[in-house]
Amino acid sequence: MTPALGLGVMAACFAAGALACLMARWAPRSAVVIGHLGVLAGAIAGGGVALALLIGGPVEPLRIALPELFPFARMSLAVDGLSAFFLLVVSVVAASAALYGPAYLRAAEPHKSAASSAAHVFALNAFVGSMALLCCAGDALSFLLFWEVMTLASYALVVAETRSDENARAGLLYIVMAHIGTALILFVFLTLTERGHGFDFSAMRTGAAALSPAWRSALFFLGLTGFAAKAGVVPLHVWLPYAHPAAPSHVSALMSGVMLKVALYGIFRTGFDLLAPPSGPLPASWGWTVLLAGTVSAVIGVLYALQQHDLKRLLAFHSVENVGIILMGAGIAMLLADRGRAASPLATLALAAALLHCLNHATFKGLLFLGAGGVLCRTHVRNMEELGGLARRMPWTAWLFLLGAVAISALPPLNGFVSEWMTFQALVLGGGKLGGASGLFSVLAASMLALTGGLAAACFVKAFGATFLGRPRSRHAEAAREVPLSMLGGMLVLAIACVVLGVLPGFAMLLLERPTAQLLGGPGASQLVTVHGPLVLTGGEPGGALATSISVTAVAGLFAGFALLVWLVRAWPRRAGRRLEPTWTCGMAPTSRFDFTATAFAKSLRLIFAMLYRPHRKVERETGDNPYVVKRLHYGGDIVDVAEMNLYRRLQHLVTTLSTAVRDRSTGRIHGYIGFVLGTLLVVLILYGRG
Amino acid sequence: MHPFEHIAIALGQMGLIVLLAPFTTGFIQKLKARLQCRTGASVWQPYRDLVKLLRKGTVQSDSASAIFRAVPVLVLAATLTAAALVPVVVVRQAPAGALPLGDAILLLSLLALARFLSAVGALDAGGAFGGMGASREMTVGVLVEPVLMLVVFSVAVSTGTTDLGELAARRGLAPLSLHAPDLLALFAMLVLLLAETGRIPVDNPDTHLELTMLHEGMLLEHSGPGLACLVLATHIKQLVVMALVAAVFFPAGMTASLAPVDLALALLVFAGKALLLAVFLALVESSYAKLRFFRLPQFLGVGFLTAFLALALRIL
Repeated sequence: MTPALGLGVMAACFAAGALACLMARWAPRSAVVIGHLGVLAGAIAGGGVALALLIGGPVEPLRIALPELFPFARMSLAVDGLSAFFLLVVSVVAASAALYGPAYLRAAEPHKSAASSAAHVFALNAFVGSMALLCCAGDALSFLLFWEVMTLASYALVVAETRSDENARAGLLYIVMAHIGTALILFVFLTLTERGHGFDFSAMRTGAAALSPAWRSALFFLGLTGFAAKAGVVPLHVWLPYAHPAAPSHVSALMSGVMLKVALYGIFRTGFDLLAPPSGPLPASWGWTVLLAGTVSAVIGVLYALQQHDLKRLLAFHSVENVGIILMGAGIAMLLADRGRAASPLATLALAAALLHCLNHATFKGLLFLGAGGVLCRTHVRNMEELGGLARRMPWTAWLFLLGAVAISALPPLNGFVSEWMTFQALVLGGGKLGGASGLFSVLAASMLALTGGLAAACFVKAFGATFLGRPRSRHAEAAREVPLSMLGGMLVLAIACVVLGVLPGFAMLLLERPTAQLLGGPGASQLVTVHGPLVLTGGEPGGALATSISVTAVAGLFAGFALLVWLVRAWPRRAGRRLEPTWTCGMAPTSRFDFTATAFAKSLRLIFAMLYRPHRKVERETGDNPYVVKRLHYGGDIVDVAEMNLYRRLQHLVTTLSTAVRDRSTGRIHGYIGFVLGTLLVVLILYGRG
Repeated sequence: MHPFEHIAIALGQMGLIVLLAPFTTGFIQKLKARLQCRTGASVWQPYRDLVKLLRKGTVQSDSASAIFRAVPVLVLAATLTAAALVPVVVVRQAPAGALPLGDAILLLSLLALARFLSAVGALDAGGAFGGMGASREMTVGVLVEPVLMLVVFSVAVSTGTTDLGELAARRGLAPLSLHAPDLLALFAMLVLLLAETGRIPVDNPDTHLELTMLHEGMLLEHSGPGLACLVLATHIKQLVVMALVAAVFFPAGMTASLAPVDLALALLVFAGKALLLAVFLALVESSYAKLRFFRLPQFLGVGFLTAFLALALRIL
């Protein structure tokens, strides 16, 4: 099967899946199952095409002309290395979400109406299909069309789950922010198409080649802002922690794991390809801005994640963090990139790290959201203070969630560590090479990345501990049981991906060969990073003075061997066996109230970073006649989002003041408005009439 | 050289660390006791404790899950792997075709993995003490890890690698260098050494009283062989961090040859370095009081500042 045919099959599967909504009226359950099967088949086809193009296919991008819908533009698909890689990212998570979805929907919402099932099936297929095709788009028009379909479909999925006010507000915030971003992207793309006399990406490249440096940078920053609003970069992240958790969990996995990556694809495409100068280094201001935005997003994202009690919202904040980590890699790659000449191996390493983290984050974040969905559908509780003790009731989900938690905390031997290690090497060795203020900044960014890792570990000890360990703290958690097999299957696919990408990362470099070689020129990732064979990762210049090599495979092998050895030593039969006794709680009968809660766990960090959180607490004591005997104690506490407080509240205030001022001038009398029109006309004539 | 020889050397050095680690703790305890005018337990006491614990049965909390059982094994395995990565007596370049072992970032991440898993285990028994210990330990981890990385980076920037063996080899096995960045980084490292080994003024290894506990609080619910694993992991981690300091700042005395005489000499030099650091720890422990937990950011902030200065001097 040729790749072009494969893409056709993929699109047909998504279309067929979307059409399954028509049968929802008669057989809602079958409609849901068939709709998810469409996603699954489409994802498998898309993943197959992506793998074929990345590993064995021709170097030239695959071009497919689409039917001519509009008289002014030809639409086409053009799949090069970068597109194929992101198509793979979409496919992996979509396939496991499709496996997981039907059982989840049945368990979480047993009384879903036929209409809402139909809407879900249609929107899900449109969402996944538009993301997959967006990565393959070969011209501005199809890119923007798929972008809009993706936004609208995800909006529908966010607001369709339940008809609560909270979801409606989350959806509104999301769609407003997304469209502000779309407007900026539209401006950038239309400027380029106008300069290049065509909607095709190659025409846009020729248009961009003639731009002056100031225009080029201005367009880049506009585009960066537009894509960053969708990717959830601080301070444009405010919609993300509300919108992602509101959707059904497998859709949350898709939104956090994949949709953010599609926005990052836009940044990679504009920054390294469409707008990049034809030769010479990229402007230093680009790299600095992206690196700074990445560092701030990573640290702020994880700090806010740490103080969340809602499991899914915590995971959503971690997406902000991981987008920041990806941008750190992209930023240092921009600082080191030098087009036209022999590519810097460190730039290739940095870009490979950023792209690999895209794939890695998609796998472990998908896994964690699916795990959280398992908890949600069995307990119907999202607040982790009311969970606990689930490891004994849902052991498989617990182990898989723990695996995802270790991976996202960038701990070896799983995949999060590999891409962060590559980012570390790029930042440190690249910083040494850059020298001066850029060098100091980039090494400092590396230490902030270490801080992020530490905070993420603390956050996931809290999340995992409060949700799965200890005793159940509510009757919902008490009654939980293991999720059905198909849901575990969806999680297992992603868990295996986490382990394989972590233990054998050399093979992932094969996938990154095309994208890195194409964006930076020169030899690609697999020739640089895995120069000493597939089991060894080399950061830096192979053979040069700046290089570090590790073998994650060997270390994972040692770890497994030692674990087996220690297990055997401990399991050696002894005279005294194992006894089970209640935990010692200073002589009182142990209850779940002795467990350390999530709020308490995060308290020390809340006080240390109080400058950022501005925590406030409210304690109410109810005493009887004797003031020393407390009958009841109410504790309430909250933190504020600094960006929301300082930026958005002020912006909101400004808009409100302006609107009030406009309303005061709007008298409702027609001659007043005619006066305004005349005045405007006069100003326009004075401004432009002279030329 | 055969590619597997490289791994054999790493395993040999790991064995050395495992054997010597309880002695280091015993030595510090003995020295502390003498400084406090007590006789103190024998330096071999940690070995006796381990043997005793290994023979005992296990009492486990009835609310704990299978994860609780797996934690001691995984923690010890992660710490042992970290011990295999640090050069102790032999430093030589990895031959072509060998799998390189010895990256500093990987080493610190493995120690972070051990810390993560211990904290998870501490939360499983459902007692408040374990949770409190885990929360504090992870907080200290958050404050220590970036600074530790910064120290390693400040050295890596000038040598161009984070591989500990390469790093030692490229610094030419010189005795302590007296350049300002090195001295500042060493100062930062000594501040961090107190935190990473869980010693006063950051933590108190002798007690798990409610007010002082960090690391000990996490071990409270473990017993028998499981506790033995965790205690051994604590000893090993202490010596691994000491060996890290030695490899980064005083690589002198390590040998590149495998001749028995050279090895014995290098071992003696390593023992000297480790004892020097142990004396430093014992002196600090005996002469300072434990800091209040929320004063720790300031204490570790000093480390961050000096590490940052070292880096700035190196790059600018």
